Amino acid sequence: MLINSVILVLREVLEAALLISVLLALSVRLRLSLSWLLWALPATAIAVTLFAGFLDVMTDAFDGAGQELASALLQAAVFLSLAGIVYFCSCRQRQASSPALPLALLMSLAATCALTREVSEVLIYVAGFAASPDHRTAVFAGGAIGAGIGISMGVLLYAGLRALRFLPFLNVCYVLLALIGAGMVMQSTMLLEQVDWMPVGQQLWDSSALVGEQSLTGQLLYAVFGYEATPSVVQGGIYLFCLATIAAAWALPGLSDRTGVLDDAS
Amino acid sequence: MSVLRLFTACLLLMPLAAQAKAPVIEIEIRNHLFQPEEVLIPAHTKVKLVVYNRDKTPEEFESYELNREKVIMGGRKANIFIGPLEPGVYPFFGEFNPKTAQGRVVAQ
Repeated sequence: MLINSVILVLREVLEAALLISVLLALSVRLRLSLSWLLWALPATAIAVTLFAGFLDVMTDAFDGAGQELASALLQAAVFLSLAGIVYFCSCRQRQASSPALPLALLMSLAATCALTREVSEVLIYVAGFAASPDHRTAVFAGGAIGAGIGISMGVLLYAGLRALRFLPFLNVCYVLLALIGAGMVMQSTMLLEQVDWMPVGQQLWDSSALVGEQSLTGQLLYAVFGYEATPSVVQGGIYLFCLATIAAAWALPGLSDRTGVLDDAS
Repeated sequence: MSVLRLFTACLLLMPLAAQAKAPVIEIEIRNHLFQPEEVLIPAHTKVKLVVYNRDKTPEEFESYELNREKVIMGGRKANIFIGPLEPGVYPFFGEFNPKTAQGRVVAQ
């Protein structure tokens, strides 16, 4: 029971911890106020209470597809926020006076949406066992250890990122945000397949013999890249589309700079 | 803008394109066990699993092989579409009680 709880909570916490670490490191390096985290925490608490409290009603909505639709929406919101964050960071990197408010709002939104689903699941799990005296201690202890490991990995990533020089730091952050964002969208496509809102495409490959999804490496890769051992062609396409979208968000401010220079020259 | 429009159109059309009648198979969760543990389904066919959680506690239906995960609150049911699958064995488990809640889908 203890090990199960460690793994379950770690799985849920890891992805959000890595994402929030990248956002925190970006904020500090780009001299943004960390107030977005203060907005995100109460917003998450409210969203989690609603999500976990109404999960059974939500599950039955939309002919049984409500839970998946809500989760997919949250994940899509994280992706769009991340694309916006990359765009505004890229602006700020070129012009320190560019507005900080959109960044703070988007970071808050990304953190809230990323945390809501994960924390709700942990809450439902822990609350489910809170009434059982046989399992309660193991679930609480395991959950605390799992959360501790997840948060520690986030702290490690944060420290690693802070150790980089400015430009490589920014590029690594953008790549991480692109991978995490694309991974989230890929997970949401799976949820939509699960409720038959999206056709199941042909399998692209099967790497389960190489890296099993349940292995520690698989879990880590899942948290960062949204790793799937057996992705479908549709998922692969959507993943690449998402990476391209974030790359475009990164390149856009640079392009408009260049056009500006050309306009001046003519 | 046209890309956005196309994307929205695809999103709206997806459910219509995907939702065809699929055979329904029922599974129960009782005392943290799946009943039946083994579910036989036809290969190359989309199937709708209806999982009833007869326990008071929540459970999460999870399968790495089927790429499926869904929380089912106590006393509730969940619909989960799987397939079309190649012939083979696809294990699933209850993530909240993985020691006891184990099952498999056999596509043949």
